Amino acid sequence: MDSQIKKIHQQLVSKEITCTELVQRKLDLLKKNTHNTANSLLESSALELAAKVDAKISNGETIGVLEGIPFGIKDVYMLQGTYTTASSNLLKHYKSAYTATAIQKLLDAGAIPIVKENCDSFGHGSSSENTIFGAVKNAINPELVGGGSSGGSAVNVAKDYTIFSIGGDTGGSIRQPAGYNKIYGLKPTYGRISRYGLMAYASSTDCVGPLAKSIEDIRIVLNVMSGKDAKDQTSIESESISEETIANTNTVKTIGYFKNFIENDAIDTQIKNDFLASIEKIKAKGIEVKALDFFKSDILVSTYYTLAMAETASNLSRLDGTNYGNRIESENLKETYAVTRSENFSEETKRRIVGGNQVLSQGFSDEIYLKGLALRDQISENFNKDFEEVDIIISPVTPSTPPKIGDSLKDPLAMYLSDAYTVGFSLGQLPTLTIPQGTSTGIQITAAKNNDAHVLQFANFLKETI
Amino acid sequence: MSKIMTVDILSSIKGAQPSEAVNKLFDVIKNAHTENNESFNNVNNNALSVNDLRDDVVIESSAIEKQIIIENFPKEKNGYLVVSKVIEE
Repeated sequence: MDSQIKKIHQQLVSKEITCTELVQRKLDLLKKNTHNTANSLLESSALELAAKVDAKISNGETIGVLEGIPFGIKDVYMLQGTYTTASSNLLKHYKSAYTATAIQKLLDAGAIPIVKENCDSFGHGSSSENTIFGAVKNAINPELVGGGSSGGSAVNVAKDYTIFSIGGDTGGSIRQPAGYNKIYGLKPTYGRISRYGLMAYASSTDCVGPLAKSIEDIRIVLNVMSGKDAKDQTSIESESISEETIANTNTVKTIGYFKNFIENDAIDTQIKNDFLASIEKIKAKGIEVKALDFFKSDILVSTYYTLAMAETASNLSRLDGTNYGNRIESENLKETYAVTRSENFSEETKRRIVGGNQVLSQGFSDEIYLKGLALRDQISENFNKDFEEVDIIISPVTPSTPPKIGDSLKDPLAMYLSDAYTVGFSLGQLPTLTIPQGTSTGIQITAAKNNDAHVLQFANFLKETI
Repeated sequence: MSKIMTVDILSSIKGAQPSEAVNKLFDVIKNAHTENNESFNNVNNNALSVNDLRDDVVIESSAIEKQIIIENFPKEKNGYLVVSKVIEE
């Protein structure tokens, strides 16, 4: 599909549609929607911003390409004055006091936020069922999950309720729901987009990223949000990616895939066959394809969850109801902390906090947490070696098709293992894009750190090839 | 200080217990083979250089920010923001 952003921009400029009509239409769709994608609508602020864009157009002023484009925000980003709940009971009535850097950059470019989107509470989940706002229903088959944790964002884009949405990806939370709902979703190189104003889950892999219906829209939004930010000291300088750069699809000579992802019993037969068929089509274009060795899925999943749980136990320790949140008073301060957290956190969030504190405890940290860090280093080294041999690595997004709503909550271990193909790239802090092609839940394209442009280039190549 | 802290105390979550699903993940790590211990020295690859640290300055919050922070505070009495009783142990 071509750029939705550019198409709407043209319609606004040529006065085929007013911005107010456009925003109102999207708000109406969101209000009527039965997929549980919206935690709160930003109706009055969105319509005010739309009126300003209309005034500019009728005065004959030029508008930027993102000006007046309605978008959605996963409900873990700060946007001053809006409810920011993380889909949790604890922050059900919490209002952002300030605005996240990535969101501010979009506001500065004139894009209009219209909805705070449903997700797994604090990003803890792979199905968007761990939420107080009701399970997000898949855009294609509402009996299935929307994927997670950025499920509401993916479904909104897939159903055309938003033009693009901003998700958060810690272990696959943009790429997996993008795959489940057949759209594009990018986890950029770690640090390319500032995390300031994103509620922290696991800070060493948390990434801000766009979900959209075209590669071009992903590129436009990525460029606007990227850049070093003094408020996030892990953020990095990066160059803007031009449309011409990603249109040049002849740069990739060699690609790789992890053979142990494909040659195992856990992968759905259809996904496996479709993936292998895509590999053959790529080979037919004269590209060399190498089968690479990689860590076993259970090692990847366990390393990721060990580190992510340790980090979330630390990050969520601030949520005690003292300064904000749904405080439940008890006889003294310590009891108030404990009751507030016990009553307000979901079972999955508690499971992860407890797991994190387990591995950080004396007697456990050496044999689990520190070993997890060592494994992560080995995984990163493995990627470094691979990218000396290949330009791009491709992989299925998930081993299976989306589960039915209700199934994931019954079996947390199965849910963790379903992240097998996404978490490795998170640990490597690599740029990875889900494209809605190749298998029924898409294909991931990965390049070496900071080579986000190569990922988009190869996506353009695959658009015509598979 | 030989007091043993259980996970429910460490997590401030009443009755919290380690979960079977999570323990299975940890068992995989315990049994995993790491190549050598040298990689333990590499773990801080997200560290920043001292020159990259931002200036340590106090930035005044805007009026709207202050107002929202007060609005978010869970309890107010006679114009004061109230916290729970702190006990000495």
